[in-house]
Amino acid sequence: MKRRDFLTTASASLLPVMLDGFGLRAMNRQSALVQSLLQTSAVNTDRVLVMVYLNGGNDGLNTVIPLDQLSAYNALRSNIAIPQNKILALDGTPATGFHPAMTGMRNLYNDGKLTVLHSVAYPNPDQSHARSTDIWMTGVDSNQFSTSGWAGRYLDNRFPNYPADYPNAQMNDPLAIQIGYITSSALLGSQQSMAIALNDPESFYSLVGSGDPAPPGGGLPGDAGGLITFIRKQQTLAVGYADRIKTAADAGRNMAMYPVATAKNYLADQLKIVARLIHGGLQTKVYFVSLNGFDTHSAQVDYSDTTIGEHASLLGKVSTALATFQQDLELQGTHNRVIGMTFSEFGRRANSNNSKGTDHGVAAPMFVFGSGVKHRTIGQNPDLANLTGQYGNKDIGMQTDFRQVYGDILNDWFGTAPAITDALLFRNFPSVSLFRDFTPTNVESIASGRWQDAATWNVGRAPLPTEPVRIKAGHTVIIDHDIITRNIRLEGKLNYTGSYKLQMTN
Amino acid sequence: MLSLTPYAQSLTATTAAHLLRRATFGPTQAEITAFTGLTAQQAVQQLISNANYAPPPPVDLDENSPTAGQPYINLPFNNDRNFFLGHYLRLWWLGLMTAQATPPTLLEKLALFWQNHFVTTRTIVEDYRFLYRYIQLVRNSALGNFRTFVKDITKDPAMLRFLNGDENQVGKPNENYGRELQELFTVGVVDPDGNKNYTEDDVKAAAKVLTGWGHTNFNANGSTTIGTTFTDGLHDSTNKTFSVHYNNTVITGRAVSSPGTMSAGEAELADLVAMLLAHSSCGPFICRKLYRWYVNQNITADAEINVIVPLAAFFVSPANDFAIEPVVTKLLTSQAFFDAANAGAIVKSPADLVVGAMRFFNQPVPDAPTEYKAFLNYTDFMYYQMNTMQMGLVDQPSVFGHEAYYQTGFSKLWINTTTVGIRGSLTDAFIWRWLEIKPGYTMGIDLLAWATSLQPNFADPAGTPSITCEQILAGFTKNLFAVDLTLSQQDFLIDTIMMQGIPRLSWTFEWNNYRRTPGDGGSRYSVLWRLQNLTKFMLRMAEYHIF
Repeated sequence: MKRRDFLTTASASLLPVMLDGFGLRAMNRQSALVQSLLQTSAVNTDRVLVMVYLNGGNDGLNTVIPLDQLSAYNALRSNIAIPQNKILALDGTPATGFHPAMTGMRNLYNDGKLTVLHSVAYPNPDQSHARSTDIWMTGVDSNQFSTSGWAGRYLDNRFPNYPADYPNAQMNDPLAIQIGYITSSALLGSQQSMAIALNDPESFYSLVGSGDPAPPGGGLPGDAGGLITFIRKQQTLAVGYADRIKTAADAGRNMAMYPVATAKNYLADQLKIVARLIHGGLQTKVYFVSLNGFDTHSAQVDYSDTTIGEHASLLGKVSTALATFQQDLELQGTHNRVIGMTFSEFGRRANSNNSKGTDHGVAAPMFVFGSGVKHRTIGQNPDLANLTGQYGNKDIGMQTDFRQVYGDILNDWFGTAPAITDALLFRNFPSVSLFRDFTPTNVESIASGRWQDAATWNVGRAPLPTEPVRIKAGHTVIIDHDIITRNIRLEGKLNYTGSYKLQMTN
Repeated sequence: MLSLTPYAQSLTATTAAHLLRRATFGPTQAEITAFTGLTAQQAVQQLISNANYAPPPPVDLDENSPTAGQPYINLPFNNDRNFFLGHYLRLWWLGLMTAQATPPTLLEKLALFWQNHFVTTRTIVEDYRFLYRYIQLVRNSALGNFRTFVKDITKDPAMLRFLNGDENQVGKPNENYGRELQELFTVGVVDPDGNKNYTEDDVKAAAKVLTGWGHTNFNANGSTTIGTTFTDGLHDSTNKTFSVHYNNTVITGRAVSSPGTMSAGEAELADLVAMLLAHSSCGPFICRKLYRWYVNQNITADAEINVIVPLAAFFVSPANDFAIEPVVTKLLTSQAFFDAANAGAIVKSPADLVVGAMRFFNQPVPDAPTEYKAFLNYTDFMYYQMNTMQMGLVDQPSVFGHEAYYQTGFSKLWINTTTVGIRGSLTDAFIWRWLEIKPGYTMGIDLLAWATSLQPNFADPAGTPSITCEQILAGFTKNLFAVDLTLSQQDFLIDTIMMQGIPRLSWTFEWNNYRRTPGDGGSRYSVLWRLQNLTKFMLRMAEYHIF
C-alpha cells in the first residue's frame, strides 16, 4: 500500500475540542475504531483503557535497571548510569530496580498495581520516529502498510455495507478520546467513515463554554479576531459527542491531589481530565494521552548528577501522573474499571553517546497499571551480555511483541472474541498472561526453534526460570546456552548444539 | 476613520497580498512579488487591464465523447448531455478563476459578485446555452455600466427563465421578476432607516412594464441558436404609474415596436431602469454590497458615512452615470480598503478557499482542449469541494444568492460544525496528495521541494548549515495568512506541531541527514512527516480561513 493512502485516513473528522486547555479529540460512532469496538463485548462492560504515549522513544535501560548486571550496565553507559545506591529497589524482585525519580510507580509496583513488561518491541525494528510510531499505533509488521488503521481494516471486512447501514445507536458516548493536539493514528478510522461522520448532522451536538481552543490565541482585536474566535468555536462544536464530554466533565470530580500547575506535569493534567470524565460517567472505552520529550539524544542527565536532569524529570512526571491518577480512581471508586498502559515508539540504545544522551534503539519496558493487573513482572531483564546491533550500536532485543500486549487487552480486559482480536491484529499473538494466572501449562512451545527465541513460545518470550515448560509434539527446541527452568514436560525434542546444561529447579 | 481618499503608500508585500486576496481569488507568491512596490492605483489598473473578455470557449470534457476537447456551445443542442455540458461551463469558469499562466485579473472575482447579485442557477435555467450566454453577459458587464447591465440582464434568456419573465404577459402578469428587480437588483427592500423602498403596487406596475419578453429554442434538440424575443401582442401597453417612492413616475405604455425590433419593450425597460436607478437607495444599495464583497461585511456607521455614502454619490453622479469600473477602482484604492482593521475581516468563501489554495500552492490548471481529462479531474475536484461547503457555483440556493452574502452573520455563515471539517479535509488533500490530475501530476504541495528551495546549497550539508525550524516556519508562512501569528503561536507551531515536543535542534540533524541521503526513504520521510504535520495544522487553523 502507498503510504499516502494510509495517511489520508488520518485527516478529516478529528477536530479539537477543548477541556482544561487541552485539545481533546473525540471519535464519534461512525469511526472505524468505534464501530469495531462496538462489536467487542467492551460495549457491554464498563471497562476503560488509558493509553499513555511517551513521545520520542523512552530510554528503557535507565527506567527499569537490571540490578543483576550492573557492571555491564555501567560499562555501556558510564556517563549516564544511575548509581547503584540510588536505584529504587522493588519488593520481591531483587534483580530489577527503577529510576530514582519513579517513587510513585515503585509504590504501584510494590502494591501489585503495576506490571513491568520487559523488552517490548516488534521484529525488524524501524528507528524512524514517524514510522515506528505508526507501527505501534496501527499494530502492523514493520514492513506492512495498510489503507486504514487496524480497526478500519476489521470494519471493512466485517461491515461490507458500511457506512450505508450505520450508525445504529448502541452507545451514546464517544468510544475513544484523545487528549492532545495531533491525531493519533492509533485511533484512526477509514477516510470513508469520516466523511460520512462529518456530513451527518445527527452526530454533532453543541458544546458550550468549554474554554478557549488551541493553538494559543492571537488575541487579535477587531473583526479578524472575532472571526478567528468564531471559527475556533465552531471547530469545538464540531466534535461529535462534545456535549456528552461536557456533561461528564461537569459531573465528574477529581478526588486526589494532582501536581500543581507550576509543576508543568502535562501528563498528570491530561490524566486528571480523563479521571474526571470517567467519574462523570462517560462510557468512553479508550483514552489517549501523551507526554513529549523522550527523544533524549543529549543531556538526558544533569552534568554532575546522573539521577537528575531531563530524563529524570520526565520519568518523575510519568510516575507522579500515573500514581496520582490511580489514587484518584481508587478514591472515586472507579479503579476496578480502568487499566492504563505506557508505550513509546522505541527504546534507546544500551550504550550511551558522548553527549550524555542515548540514540534510537529497539526494545524497552512497557508498563501496564491498574487494579486489574495480575503480575508485577512479565519477562526478564534484558541480557546486556547479548546485545544486538552494528556500527557500535548496542541494541536491546525483543522479548515480547507489543501486539501480544494489545491482544491480551482486547481478549482479557475488553473480552473480545479471540477470532476478532486476531483479525484486528492481523494474526494470532500469544498471550503474555497480562490478566491471567501463570499456570503450568502456560509456557509451551508453538514452533521449533532456539530456547531463547521469543517465537518458540506461546508467551512470546523465553520461559522464566520459575516456569514449568511444555515442549509439544513435533517441536524441536535448540539448547545453545545453559538453561535454568522449573521443569519440562517433553513431548517433542531437545537438540543440544554443545555441552550446555539444562537445570531444572523443581 | 475610514476614508475613500486614495491610499498613497506604495504596496508592501502585506498590502499587495491583501489587495490580491480580495480583488482576485487569491494570489500566487509571484504575483505578490510583482505587485510589491506598485501604487494601489497602478496595481488595480493592472488587475483591470489584464481582464480577458475573449477566453477560449468551454470544451467538451468527456473523454468518451467524439467532441472531447472541442467547443460545443454552437453545436446543435444535445438535450441528452444537457447536465454535463452545463456542468462543464462551471468548470470552464473555475478554470478561468484559477488560471495562473495569465496575469492576475479582478474580472472573475467581480463577475462572481455580479453572478451572485443577478442570480440565475444551472438547475433552473437548464439549457447550457442559456447559461453560457448568461455567464458571458455577467463577465462582459462586470466592469461596464450598471444601467446597461440591468437592462441586459432583464432581457437575458437565462434570467427570463429563472425569474419567470418569460411567463409575464398582458392580462396574466408574473410579478416575480418585477419584484426581485427592485428588491434584490437595484434599490433594496428597505433603506438604512428601515423604510420600505417601494410598494406592492410598484411591483405590479413593474411587472406590467416587463410583459412580453421571451426567448427562443429553449431545450430545443438540434437547434443552434438561442435568443430573446419581445412580442407586442403579449405586452401590456397601458401607462404604468408608480408610487411616491419613485416620485409618482408614470411610464408611458408602448404598443407597437418598430418593424424588426423590440423597441416597444426596450423603450419601456429603459424608462423603468432609469426610474429605479434614480431612487435614492439604489447607489448606496449597490455600494454597500460591493463594500461587503471587497472590504468588510460589518458596515459600521463610520463605513456608511465615510465610504458608502460618498462612493454611492460618485457612482450615481452625472459624470460617472453608473459606470462600474471607476467605482471598483475607487474602492480598491481607498484608505478604507487598506485599513489594517479590515485585514482578515472576512471568512474565506469556499471559492476563496479552494481557488485560493490552488493558486497559492501553484497547482497549474491543465489546458482544457488538449488535456480535457486532467482539466476535468482538476476542476471537478474544486467544484464538488465548494459544493460540499455549501457554495455550488452558479447554483445558489435562491435568488437571494449565497446566504453568506446577505444574511446576518454574513461570511461567518460559511462556517458551521460540518463545514469546518470539510474545509479541513480539503486542505489536508494538499498535504496527503491523493488526487492524481494526470500521470505525473498529483495535486498538492511538494513540501520537500518547498523546504529545499529555502535551503542554500542543499547538496552541501558539510559546508552549509541546515536551515532551522524557524526558517522553515518563516518560509512556509510567508504571505500565507492575512493576519500575523504571535510569537507564542509560532513557538506552538514549531515545538508542538512540527517537532512534536522534540528539541528544535533535532530538525537540523534530520534535515542534514536528508540532504546527505535524499534518496533514502527513511531520511526523506523523517523530514517530510514534520513538514506535513506543520502545514496540515496551519491550513486547518482559523487564521487560514479568514482573509
